Amino acid sequence: MSRVIVDPITRIEGHLRIEAEVDGGVITDAWSSCTMWRGIEKILNGRDPRDAWYFTQRICGVCTTVHALASVRTVENALGIVPPLNAQLIRELITATQFVQDHVVHFYHLHALDWVDIVSALDADPAATATLAQSISDYPKSSVGHFTAVKERLAGFVSRGQLGPFTNGYWGHPAYKLPPEGNLLAVSHYLDALDFQRRYIEMHAILGGKNPHLQTYLVGGMAIPIDPNSQNAINADTLAQLGSLLQEGLDFVTQAYIPDLLLVASFYPEWTTIGGGLGNYMSYGDFPLGQQNPSMAPDDLFLPRGIILNKDLSTVLPMEPEKISEYISHSWYSYEAGDNVALPPMEGETTPNYTGPEPPYTQLNTDDKYSWLKSPRYDDTAMEVGPLARMLVAFGAGHERVQELVGAVLAQLGVGPEALFSTLGRTAARGIETQVLAEHSITLLERLTANIGGGDLEIHNSYRWDPKDWPSEASGFGMHEAPRGALAHWIKIANGEIASYQAVVPSTWNGGPRDGSGKRGAYEAALLDTPIADPERPLEILRTVHSFDPCMACAAH
Amino acid sequence: MPVLAAPPRSVLDSLLNSGVTRRRFLEFCTATTAVLALPIKFAPQIAQALETAEKPTVIWLEFQDCAGNTESFLRARAPGVGDILLDVLDVEYHETIMAAAGDQAEAAKEAAIAKGGHIVIVEGSVPTAANGVYCTIGGKTAVQILAEATMGAAAVINTGTCSSYGGIPAASPNPTGATSVPDLVSGVPVINLPGCPVNVDNVVATIVHYLTFGALPAVDGHGRPLFAYGERIHDHCERRAHFDAGQFVEEWGDEAHRKGWCLYNMGCKGPSTFHNCPTQRWNGGTSWPIGAGHGCVGCSEPDFWDTMTPIYGRLPAPPGFGVTTSVDKIGAGIVGLTAAGFAAHGIAKTVQRKRAERANETPIEIETTAAPGEEGAER
Amino acid sequence: MSTETTPATPAPDAALGLGPTLECVTVKVWELPVRVIHWTVFLSVVALSITGFYIGTPFVRVSPEPGFLMGWMRAIHNLAAFVFIAAILARVIWAFTGNQWARWDQFIAVSKERRTNGWDGFRFYAFMTSKPPAVLGHNALAGATYLVLFAMFLTQIVMGLALLSLETEGFLASTTGWVFTVLPIPWVRFIHHLIMWLTWGFVVHHLYSAILFDTEEKTGVLSSIFTGWKRMPVDRL
Ligand code: HEM
Ligand code: HEM
Ligand code: NFV
Ligand code: SF4
Ligand code: SF4
Ligand code: F3S
Ligand SMILES: [Mg+2]
Repeated sequence: MSRVIVDPITRIEGHLRIEAEVDGGVITDAWSSCTMWRGIEKILNGRDPRDAWYFTQRICGVCTTVHALASVRTVENALGIVPPLNAQLIRELITATQFVQDHVVHFYHLHALDWVDIVSALDADPAATATLAQSISDYPKSSVGHFTAVKERLAGFVSRGQLGPFTNGYWGHPAYKLPPEGNLLAVSHYLDALDFQRRYIEMHAILGGKNPHLQTYLVGGMAIPIDPNSQNAINADTLAQLGSLLQEGLDFVTQAYIPDLLLVASFYPEWTTIGGGLGNYMSYGDFPLGQQNPSMAPDDLFLPRGIILNKDLSTVLPMEPEKISEYISHSWYSYEAGDNVALPPMEGETTPNYTGPEPPYTQLNTDDKYSWLKSPRYDDTAMEVGPLARMLVAFGAGHERVQELVGAVLAQLGVGPEALFSTLGRTAARGIETQVLAEHSITLLERLTANIGGGDLEIHNSYRWDPKDWPSEASGFGMHEAPRGALAHWIKIANGEIASYQAVVPSTWNGGPRDGSGKRGAYEAALLDTPIADPERPLEILRTVHSFDPCMACAAH
Repeated sequence: MPVLAAPPRSVLDSLLNSGVTRRRFLEFCTATTAVLALPIKFAPQIAQALETAEKPTVIWLEFQDCAGNTESFLRARAPGVGDILLDVLDVEYHETIMAAAGDQAEAAKEAAIAKGGHIVIVEGSVPTAANGVYCTIGGKTAVQILAEATMGAAAVINTGTCSSYGGIPAASPNPTGATSVPDLVSGVPVINLPGCPVNVDNVVATIVHYLTFGALPAVDGHGRPLFAYGERIHDHCERRAHFDAGQFVEEWGDEAHRKGWCLYNMGCKGPSTFHNCPTQRWNGGTSWPIGAGHGCVGCSEPDFWDTMTPIYGRLPAPPGFGVTTSVDKIGAGIVGLTAAGFAAHGIAKTVQRKRAERANETPIEIETTAAPGEEGAER
Repeated sequence: MSTETTPATPAPDAALGLGPTLECVTVKVWELPVRVIHWTVFLSVVALSITGFYIGTPFVRVSPEPGFLMGWMRAIHNLAAFVFIAAILARVIWAFTGNQWARWDQFIAVSKERRTNGWDGFRFYAFMTSKPPAVLGHNALAGATYLVLFAMFLTQIVMGLALLSLETEGFLASTTGWVFTVLPIPWVRFIHHLIMWLTWGFVVHHLYSAILFDTEEKTGVLSSIFTGWKRMPVDRL
C-alpha cells in the first residue's frame, strides 16, 4: 500500500491536490483537496447587489459567463424582476457559445494529452495520417502536406529540447494506446483548436466587449443595446457576424471534435468501465424555452431539470432546491452550530478555519479537515453534476436530440448505455452536449433575430433598477447549468445591501471532500478502483479527474 | 525533417518553423510597434532583435487567480495564440496548460529556475495571512513559491490586477491577507500589467520590448508601462464627443444608449482609468466594454474593487452610510442640517434677547472681557 | 500701520439698541482688496459650484443635436477655478500686507486676548451670555472658521489641479501627480465634490452669523463687506 500524491493537478483551472492509496495496482481510496481560497462570498457583504455579478464573475475566468449569469438571476429572483426576452436570449446565446468554447478547450487542451502521446506523433506517417483523417471526417485541413508541416513543427520543437508546455509529460507511458497517426492528428487539431476557440469567442467581445470577463450583464437585462438603425448596437450586421461564427462553431464540433472524440474513445474501451463513481446525477436544467428565470420554471427548459439515483436511467426524479445543503466537516471552515451540521445555502456561513499541516508539507491529514471546498449534498446524498449528469437527465427525460446523439455514439463505440457511467462516458457526454448546444445556439440566434425583426428592441427592464424601489429586505436564489454542472447562488438583501451571499458551485459538488458522515465526493468516488500502472507517473488519475473538467477557482471561490 | 542538435532557436526561427511567413512576421513587428506606441521606424529594430533573440524561458505562476489572464493570453490573435504559446515563448511551467503534473510539473519548474535568466509571469494575488495557507501548490505556499521562482529571474511580469495590486482577493475585508507581487518581490525588475483580465496585446508587447531593448518599458507611478497605461480611457473614448455635448445615456436601452451616447451617468469610470482599451480594444480588436454598451469599471486601477464601486454610481459611496447613499445626499444633508441648526439657534437667540430686554429695560451693554483697546485703532 | 477712521459721530438712536448715550466711531475695517477678493471668491465659488455640480451630476437634458454643454461647463469651471485660485492667493498675500483686520493672526488666535475673545464668542453662541464678543475685525471664533474654510479651499485647489492633470501632461501632472499616490482618483473626486457641499454649509453659517451679529452687535457687519466701514461705540475703542 502506498500513497500517491498529485499536486498540482495540472491542465485544470486552479489548485487541486489528489491523494490516493494504491494497493495492488489499483486505487483503494482517494482524497480530493482544493488548496486555494479567496473568500469572495465574504467580500460581497455590504456591497450593491447590482454589482454582485461583476464580483462573482471573477470567481472564474475560464467559465467566465456563468457566475455573472447566476448572480443576475439571483438578484432578479430576490427582487422579482423579469428581464426582457431579448436580454434572456442574448444571455443564452452567450452561455451556449461559452459551453462550446469551454468544452472544445477542455477536450483538446486540458484533456487530450491524457490520451494522446505527442512524442509518439513524431513516428507518424503524414500520408497515413491524412488517410485516417479523411476517413473519419471531412474536416478541411486534412492533407498530407498539412500533416507533414505539423510533424516538422513538432520535430523542430523536440529536437531543440525546448518542449515548452509539453516538458516532462508522461510520454511513452504504457497506458497510451493511440497509434502515431492518431497522435499526429490530435496534435494538429490541438493547434487548430487553439485558433478556433480564439476566433469563435470573439462573439463574446461583440456581445460583451471582451472575453474573458464580458462586461455586459445587468440586473434586469443586458447592457448591449439593440437597434437595427444604429452602428453602436446589435444590428443586422452584428447578427450576420454572429451567425457565421455560430456556423463555424457547429462545423468545428461536427467535423473535428466529435470525430476526434470517437477516434480516441475507440482506442480506450476499458475506460468505459473505469471511473464511474457515485452513480447519482443532478441537473438544474437550463435554457428556458419561454421567457423565464429558470429558478422559477423547472418544466420549461431546453435541458431538463432532474435527478438520477443509482444509475437508474428509467426514473428522472424532480429536483427541489430546498434539499441542498453544505457540510464543512472535512473542510477548512467552521460553522457556529458545530462542524458536523449541514447548512442550507440561504443560511450558509463562510468562516475560514485552517487546521491542516504547516507548509511546506508532504501529506495532508485526511482524517481531519483537508480542503478549501465545502461538501454540498442533495437530500444528504452526494451528487455528480456536469455534462454527464445533464445528458443522462435529458436522456432519461426523453430529450430527442440527446437520445439520438447518445444512441449514435454508443452504437459507434459498440457499447451499451451502462458505458456512460465512466470516465470515458463523462468525456463523451461533454462532446455530445457540445454538439447539442452548438446546434441550439443557432436556434437561439434565430429566435433573437425574429424577436428583433418583430420590432422588440428592449434589453433592460428598469423596474426596480433603482434601490429606492426595493423592499427593505429580500432574498432569492438563481440556478444555472454551467459547463461543469449545476450552479446556484443565494442572496439576502437588507436595506439595499448584500447581507449574505453564498455560491454552491459545480466543481464543489464534484470535487468536495467527504461530508459529515464520511460520504465521498464525486472525484473521490470516481477514483476508486482505478488501475495505476506506474505510481511514479499516475496518468490514470489525471484521466479520471480531468474527465470532470475541474475548476478549483470556481469550487472554492 | 531537420533534426539537428542545434542551439536553442531564436524567436524568428521558431516562428518560421511553425509556418509563420516572413511577411506575417514583419506585420506582427509593425503591429507591436504600434501597441508599444513607438514610432514606426522601430519596427525593423524589433524585427532584427527577434531574429536573434532566444526564445525566453517563461515560468507562469498562478496563485489566488481565476485563470482569466491565462484565458486572455489564449486569445492572442497576431501572432496567433499557438505561435505565442509554442514559438515566441518557451513556457516551461504553466499549471493550466502544461502536460506534466504533480512532481514532474514541479521538476520542470525547478529545472527552469536553475537555468536562471527566466521571465516569471504571475497571475493572482499572494495570500500572506495565516502563514500563507490560503494558497499552496505542491505543499508550498504561494509566498515560498514566489520567492523561489523569482530568484535569478530576469524579470517579473504581473498579468492582471490581482498580481499587480492584490485585486479581488484583496478587496475589503481582504479575508486572506492577499498581497500584490511587487510588495513581496525585491531585487528583480517587476512590471505591472493590470486589467481584469490583462489584455494579451499588452503582454506580448511588453515581452517584445524586453527582447528588443533588453529592458522592461518605462512605467508610471503604479508600475504600469506608459505605452499601455499612459492615457486615460476617457480621452480616447469614441463616445467622448457625446460627453462633451452633454449627451448621456439615462436608462439602459433608451434611445441614447442605442445611439451610443456617453455612459457617464451609468457609472462609467473611464474618466478615472488609465488603460489602452479604446485604442487597442479586446479580442484582436473586436470590441471593448464601452464599445459594447457598458461603462468602464476601472479594472486597471489599483484597488478598483473598493474605489470604483458601486459600479453604477459615479463616485464611491460615502463610508459608513451604506451603498445606496451618495455624496450629494450626504452633502445636501449637511447643508440642510446646518440651515436647520442655525434656524433653531436664531429663534433661541431672539428669545434670549427678548427675555434680557424684558428683565432689564435698559439697553444691552456690550460686554468686554478682552482688554479694552485690543481691537482699537491705535494698535 | 494706519487705519482709516472717521471722528466720533452721534450715536445711533435708541431703536438700534445701543442706547442714546453712546457715541460711535466708524472704522474702515475692510480695505478695498479684501472686499474685492471677498466678492471675487463668492462669485467664483458660485460659478464653480454650478458648473461643478453639473460635471458631477449632469442634470440638464440636451436635445439630440450635437452641442458642447459639458464642454462649456468644464471650460467655465476651469476658468473660474483660476480666478478663484488667484483670489485665494491674493488674500493670502494680503494676510501679510493688509491692515490689522486682514492679518493672518485674525484667523489664528496666537494671542491670549484673541483666545479669550474666541471663548467669548463661544459663550455667546452657546447662550451662556447674551453679549457678543467685542471686536472690530473678525471675532476670533469667526477667524477660526475662515481658517477651516481656507484649508478646505486649499484642498479643493490641490484636488482640482490634480483632476485637471489627468487630462493634461507635463507640469501640472508632475506637480500634482503625488495626490493620486495618496488617494485613488475616485476619492479625490469624492472629496472635491463633498467640499462643494461643505462650502455651502459654511455659507449658510456665514450668512446667519453675519445677520445675527448685525442685529445683536449693531456694528454694521453686513454692510461692512460692501463699504468697508464698521461702527464701534467709542468707549469700546
Ligand atoms: C470651491 C471651489 C470648487 C468647487 C465648489 C468645485 C466643485 C466641483 C465639483 C462638484 C466637481 C464634480 C466632481 C465630481 O463629481 O466628480 C468638480 C470637478 C472638477 N473640478 Fe472643481 N470645484 C472647485 C474648485 C476647483 C479648482 C480650484 C479646480 C482647479 C483647476 C477645479 C477643477 C476641477 C476639475 C478638473 C474637475 C473634474 C472635471 C471633470 O471630471 O471633467 N475645481 N468641481
Ligand atoms: C461663497 C461664499 C462666501 C465666502 C466663501 C465668504 C467668505 C468670507 C471670508 C473668508 C470672510 C473673511 C474676510 C476676510 O478676512 O477676507 C468673509 C467676511 C464676510 N462676509 Fe463672506 N463669504 C461668502 C459669501 C458672503 C455673502 C453672500 C455675504 C452676504 C452679505 C457675506 C458677508 C460677509 C461679511 C459681512 C463679512 C465680514 C464678517 C466679519 O466681520 O467677520 N459673505 N466672508
Ligand atoms: N465548477 C465550475 Fe465553473 C463552470 N463551469 C462554475 O460555476 O469553472 Ni470555472
Ligand atoms: S486580475 Fe481579474 S482576471 Fe486576473 S486573476 Fe484576478 S480576477 Fe482573474
Ligand atoms: S463613455 Fe465613459 S469614457 Fe467614454 S466619454 Fe463617456 S464617461 Fe468618458
Ligand atoms: S473596465 Fe477595464 S477593460 Fe478597459 S474599459 Fe475599463 S479598463
Ligand atoms: Mg460557497
